[in-house]
Amino acid sequence: MATPAHSLSYAGCNFLRQRLVLSTLSGRPVKIRKIRARDDNPGLRDFEASFIRLLDKITNGSRIEINQTGTTLYYQPGLLYGGSVEHDCSVLRGIGYYLESLLCLAPFMKHPLRIVLRGVTNDQVDPSVDVLKTTALPVLKQFGIDGESLELKIVRRGMPPGGGGEVIFSCPIRKVLKPIQLTDPGKIKRIRGMAYSVRVSPQMANRIVDSARSILNKFIPDIYIYTDHMKGINSGKSPGFGLSLVAETINGTFLGAELTSNPQGQGVAVLPEDLGRNCAKLLLEEIYRGGCVDSTNQSLALLFMTLGQQDVSKVLLGPLSPYTIEFLRHLKSFFQIMFKIETKPCGEERKGGDKVLMTCVGIGFSNLSKTLK
Amino acid sequence: METKDQKKHRKKNSGPKAEKKKKRHLQDLQLGDEEDARKRNPKAFAVQSAVRMARSFHRTQDLKTKKHHIPVVDRTPLEPPPIVVVVMGPPKVGKSTLIQCLIRNFTRQKLTEIRGPVTIVSGKKRRLTIIECGCDINMMIDLAKVADLVLMLIDASFGFEMETFEFLNICQVHGFPKIMGVLTHLDSFKYNKQLKKAKKRLKHRFWTEVYPGAKLFYLSGMVHGEYQNQEIHNLGRFITVMKFRPLTWQTSHPYILADRMEDLTNPEDIRTNAKCDRKVSLYGYLRGAHLKNKSQIHMPGVGDFAVSDISFLPDPCALPEQQKKRCLNEKEKLVYAPLSGVGGVLYDKDAVYVDLGGSHGFQEPDEASPTHELVQSLISTHSTIDAKMASSRVTLFSDSKPLGSEDIDNQGLWMPKEEKQVDLKTGRVRRKAIFGDEEDESGDSDPEDDEEMPEGDRMENSSSDETEEEEDAEVTSKVYMADKGAKRQRLEMEEDSEIDLPAFADSDDDLERSSGDEGEEEEADESSEEEGSDAEERDNLEPKTIGKGSKSGLLHSNGLSDRLNLEKTMKKAALTTSDSGHCTAEEAFASEDESEGSSSLSTEEKDSEDEALVRKKFPKPSQAVSGQKRASESLIDETSDIEDLLKEEEEYKEASNYSTETSGALKWKEDLSRKAAEAFLRQQQATPNLQKLIYGTVTEDNEEEDEAGEELGGLFRVSQPARECKYKADSLDCSRFHLEVPHDWDLEEVMDSIRDCFVTGKWEEDKDAAKILAEDEELYGDFEDLETGDVHKGASGLDTQTEDVEEEIKEEIDSSAEESAKKKHLDKKRKLKEMFDAEYDEGESTYFDDLKGEMHRQAQMRLKKHRWYKKILKSRDPIIFSVGWRRFQTIPLYYIEDHNGRQRLLKYTPQHMHCGAAFWGPITPQGTGFLAVQFVDGTTPDFRIAATGIVLDLDKSIKIVKKLKLTGFPYKIFKNTSFIKGMFNSALEVAKFEGAVIRTVSGIRGQIKKALRAPEGAFRATFEDKLLMSDIVFMRTWYPVSIPAFYNPVTSLLKPVGEKDTWSGMRTTGQLRLAHRVKLKPNKDSLYKPIVRQKKHFNSLHIPKALQKALPFKTKPKTQAKAGKIPKDRRRPAVIREPHERKVLALLDALSTVHSQKMKKAKEQRHLHNKEHFKAKQKEEEEKLKRQKDLRKKLFRIQGQKEKRNQKSSLKGPKEQLK
Repeated sequence: MATPAHSLSYAGCNFLRQRLVLSTLSGRPVKIRKIRARDDNPGLRDFEASFIRLLDKITNGSRIEINQTGTTLYYQPGLLYGGSVEHDCSVLRGIGYYLESLLCLAPFMKHPLRIVLRGVTNDQVDPSVDVLKTTALPVLKQFGIDGESLELKIVRRGMPPGGGGEVIFSCPIRKVLKPIQLTDPGKIKRIRGMAYSVRVSPQMANRIVDSARSILNKFIPDIYIYTDHMKGINSGKSPGFGLSLVAETINGTFLGAELTSNPQGQGVAVLPEDLGRNCAKLLLEEIYRGGCVDSTNQSLALLFMTLGQQDVSKVLLGPLSPYTIEFLRHLKSFFQIMFKIETKPCGEERKGGDKVLMTCVGIGFSNLSKTLK
Repeated sequence: METKDQKKHRKKNSGPKAEKKKKRHLQDLQLGDEEDARKRNPKAFAVQSAVRMARSFHRTQDLKTKKHHIPVVDRTPLEPPPIVVVVMGPPKVGKSTLIQCLIRNFTRQKLTEIRGPVTIVSGKKRRLTIIECGCDINMMIDLAKVADLVLMLIDASFGFEMETFEFLNICQVHGFPKIMGVLTHLDSFKYNKQLKKAKKRLKHRFWTEVYPGAKLFYLSGMVHGEYQNQEIHNLGRFITVMKFRPLTWQTSHPYILADRMEDLTNPEDIRTNAKCDRKVSLYGYLRGAHLKNKSQIHMPGVGDFAVSDISFLPDPCALPEQQKKRCLNEKEKLVYAPLSGVGGVLYDKDAVYVDLGGSHGFQEPDEASPTHELVQSLISTHSTIDAKMASSRVTLFSDSKPLGSEDIDNQGLWMPKEEKQVDLKTGRVRRKAIFGDEEDESGDSDPEDDEEMPEGDRMENSSSDETEEEEDAEVTSKVYMADKGAKRQRLEMEEDSEIDLPAFADSDDDLERSSGDEGEEEEADESSEEEGSDAEERDNLEPKTIGKGSKSGLLHSNGLSDRLNLEKTMKKAALTTSDSGHCTAEEAFASEDESEGSSSLSTEEKDSEDEALVRKKFPKPSQAVSGQKRASESLIDETSDIEDLLKEEEEYKEASNYSTETSGALKWKEDLSRKAAEAFLRQQQATPNLQKLIYGTVTEDNEEEDEAGEELGGLFRVSQPARECKYKADSLDCSRFHLEVPHDWDLEEVMDSIRDCFVTGKWEEDKDAAKILAEDEELYGDFEDLETGDVHKGASGLDTQTEDVEEEIKEEIDSSAEESAKKKHLDKKRKLKEMFDAEYDEGESTYFDDLKGEMHRQAQMRLKKHRWYKKILKSRDPIIFSVGWRRFQTIPLYYIEDHNGRQRLLKYTPQHMHCGAAFWGPITPQGTGFLAVQFVDGTTPDFRIAATGIVLDLDKSIKIVKKLKLTGFPYKIFKNTSFIKGMFNSALEVAKFEGAVIRTVSGIRGQIKKALRAPEGAFRATFEDKLLMSDIVFMRTWYPVSIPAFYNPVTSLLKPVGEKDTWSGMRTTGQLRLAHRVKLKPNKDSLYKPIVRQKKHFNSLHIPKALQKALPFKTKPKTQAKAGKIPKDRRRPAVIREPHERKVLALLDALSTVHSQKMKKAKEQRHLHNKEHFKAKQKEEEEKLKRQKDLRKKLFRIQGQKEKRNQKSSLKGPKEQLK
């Protein structure tokens, strides 16, 4: 019968999201100990607590036990329920922090998820909502999760530290995922971007656009950077500005990069010109890394490959980020799946750095929560 | 005489040759094909009617669409596992006979006793696993799930039996395998007509059950206790050419039909604690999907377990190697049935017996029947493979001493211990294998080992100076030893595609011992001193490296030449090392003649001539693994290279490619070391460090962590310096990938490095627009080629793609297999061993669905009572479900969904309707079919399947509700407001229900307003009308019902032998009541009593005076005024007559009576008279009418004639008239 060894145990709060998400998908309980045990301020932070609360909202029947100091967390996953949910995210982290995990879980809900997230839309730590919208959603589409209801809408922008942004994310549900064969990223055909500014002069966005274009124009002429200046209640509680860029290839690969101004009252003021240039360089860096999925969404793609049908999935990635590497390890412990990893040296071609070809056979995951009618 | 008997030549009427001839004939007649016919005679094919054509088109289209299926991905591997053929039928129908006949038909070998599954090679590309299925419902359920083909035996003399229908229903639920009916006992019909009728009747019934046109086979009768050869042959043909449509459940779940099992638990543990956890290994072909190591599995009839290890084994019943010929030769017709003791190996409760075939077993090994090949090969191996491996030595450096496997550290492993039982009477020797624990085995100087084989040891010790005959005896005993070894080896390597020979294809001949030496060798096996001396002889060079290396194969060094064999396929480190007990120093002196005399399984040669000689004897070309390398002594410098590589190999455990080495015996030896080196370098290049970086280090980390945790248990703890991992433990959780050293994008060369990533950059040759344009013409040319029938280029690409994928999959499997050691151990619970019964241990199929593991949830399903089941099912009665692979007992709740989506509890399932069922059990994907049986024990003449259905949903929340009516009574009534008590117990409860709708029994609706203070729980309510004190007020509420968390897997296979079908789980209350003779005490109020109706008295209608006044006269009650009292003066006085008067009166009375009587009579008479008169009159009248009628008729006729005449005359005109 049920064995206690069935649950997994970890120490430390790092990669908390991965562990909880994989636990939810695999149904294996997870125990995380020593969460900031040696810290002056031990235990779970606000944003982590908020994340756990979010998980509780979208699942049904999960058991969460946290000890008094918050240093130990036991999570027994329930059933992914979905439906219409609202959640106030912590302003310590961006909405991207929560959204990344939701992207992993949303296709496997019982009812299609439609969630309103409130908090910080763009910050310097997490991938912003803009970038996720332009890069992560295409990844979902590759796996057959598409349709009208796959949507990520930014209603209000909120910058740190105040927050006040609002995002609506809705995702259809799928019973099974398609295997993918993404081995050729193709050539970049266009670059799009979004320069936004809230509670600052609308001119800032234009200045960002100009400087970013100055760099990118050397590579490709098809560049269009939208400016988005939100006003009034839609502009959140704190001032700020930023730029997110995305490069689209002919094979439907999206590589993104972004940069945001320093939050109000922290660090020195950033010139929009510098920000634009730096962001453009970050995009070039991302292009240099290359791959069919950009560095932020590597783990998402790998997860869906794992959960796919019992067929071979292949994806070409840029260098694996530390987050992804840890994610691979977690995939192994939760799903017993090991990827075949081959490095593809760049050679003489002027196509950026070494690439990694990831191959796996899906475990044949099927959405168990979806109701049959 | 002979000429008379000769048959006349018959022309072929069918087949390719006949068709060709027909065609030629037609051409001679100037008649072409059908198309020409169309041309020749266009009128015959012209459209006659558009409507009819449309109709026929519709019809064909309809038929076509009916045939459409959802495309199914066929994931069967290139070499598919054997097809599971389940022979099913009621008892005494001829199942075993049929199996025996089939086996005999395919293999030309007769199996007398069939226990468990029998695997046979039935064709070039097909193997069959035949299992018999009795009428135990557990067995039927389990086998229906794994069957690919069901041979449904029907006793024609009796007709269909319940089992057949039950099995069909089970199949319908769990995915319908191919079903073929077989009618037996047809010889019991005396008359042909009767037989025909019976056949037709059964056929049509069978068709309604399966599908119209389902194949039904007739086995007309028995000849010498067997079915007729021709019929069996036909049946066999049908089976071998049959095509199968993959079943969804089977293809999406890995499962194993275990054809063998072994208990690896330490007997001592069992002795001390009969309920100890068992370690059991199961053997079988993996079917369905990939099975992952360390996964959760389910064994039907046993329970849920975790796999401790999985490994590849050589195929015990391999398909013949691809050869261009029509049929199999005798040697390729293999049988594998370990439980039946085919092939001389018999497994029973706790021993393994090898049948030697008596004292003649060895005399003519070549003549042994092919099915005995396996055993023969085992027998003929003089030393065990383990022994060979152990004794093999390697010299790493040319000047170093050879190194044996003893030097490699002994790791634990599970091995059977042997016990020899010599049957002196028959000359047969049986070797009993007792399975011990790993610890016992690993040691070289295992005292138990010695104790267990005293006779063997004695014999061996004295062997050196034994006489010829004795030597013979010795050989046999040796054989057993060898067998043991071989068996051990097979134990680990069962399931591969080769019988173990490939692994040792190039190992040296001297591994094969001569019988003369064997004694010493065996002695060496047992004695540790010898080992010690061996060890001294050998140079212990880099033991770890060698350990890893030898894991992958065997290292062997000869006195003459240094040879290095690296086999990566086998990878049985644990094995090799632990088998060191079988190593001998004397092996090298094996005599050649002995090795020649025995047709050995393992292909070992000492010298090249020998090698060639022995090679001829092997039934199959030996397979060598490409990874095998040898370092010849001449290449000293290269050996060091290899040594380096060996070191690396330890890190890179990549799957090695299998390649068949079929070339000459010597050729392959050339340049081996160079090849090896190259292969390694290639591999190294192919395998990036990344994989190790990601997966390799993790495990180490974990281990270290574990160690660190255990290090100190006391008060004080050593604060370890934070390693990188620890350091990271609490760091920021962020998915963004920040580069420490970004490129300087202002530099031209840096910018250049990504130039080609853009469409503006340089394109690849094959994608460059100009190139593509230039190539277009060539492409066109290709296309033309295609039309003429040349190979399409795209297709080849596709092929490679699929091959790639397959390889990938293989690699995936390999990698997972490599990680683990080479054995499959399953943790089994208690009892299994003592309960083991070969006949029954066949329904094992492992269930694994990574995610579903041990999760138990509430599942909702749509269920319908089977229409043949006699009772309806009751909620909360335990019932046995068969869902997925599992059989388990649980307590379901039945419900029905109301129109508003409410799921209302039902006490019983509806008689003929679907209803919902919710239970607490394992997670099964939606859409999975299931069936329910009430009991699995005992026999019942009735249909056993209680219900069938489908899993709809998995949920954790309770949704099922039952109706709850709360009642109360008014205690104070105002106009429309009443105070009601008795419904609730407290004001809080009332508050919860404020605003709720209430109703009286008479139908007056109302609402709860507010709680009252005075009697606790009373409230104020308003109604649409005034209540009466006698009214009862009630409120309808819905109460959620929790589902009992009861899950009890049916562990019927853990029952002792012969009681497998007696498993009974939780009993229903009804059963318990019956058992304990407790009568149900019904609620008195619920009893039915005769209805006694009281007579109703109605009061008279009283109309008020005022109303009466107002009424119109017509409706006014007509009340007659009472007759007032008559005053005395008005009353008449009574008359008193005189006697005379009285007489007169009496006379008058009499007279009047007479008169009246007279009158009465007269009246009657008159009446009669009148009647007669009336009749007469009527008659007259009738006659008159008739007369008149006739008269009239005459008249009219005359009139008519006249008229006619007139008309005629008028038509003729005046002239005529004139005329």
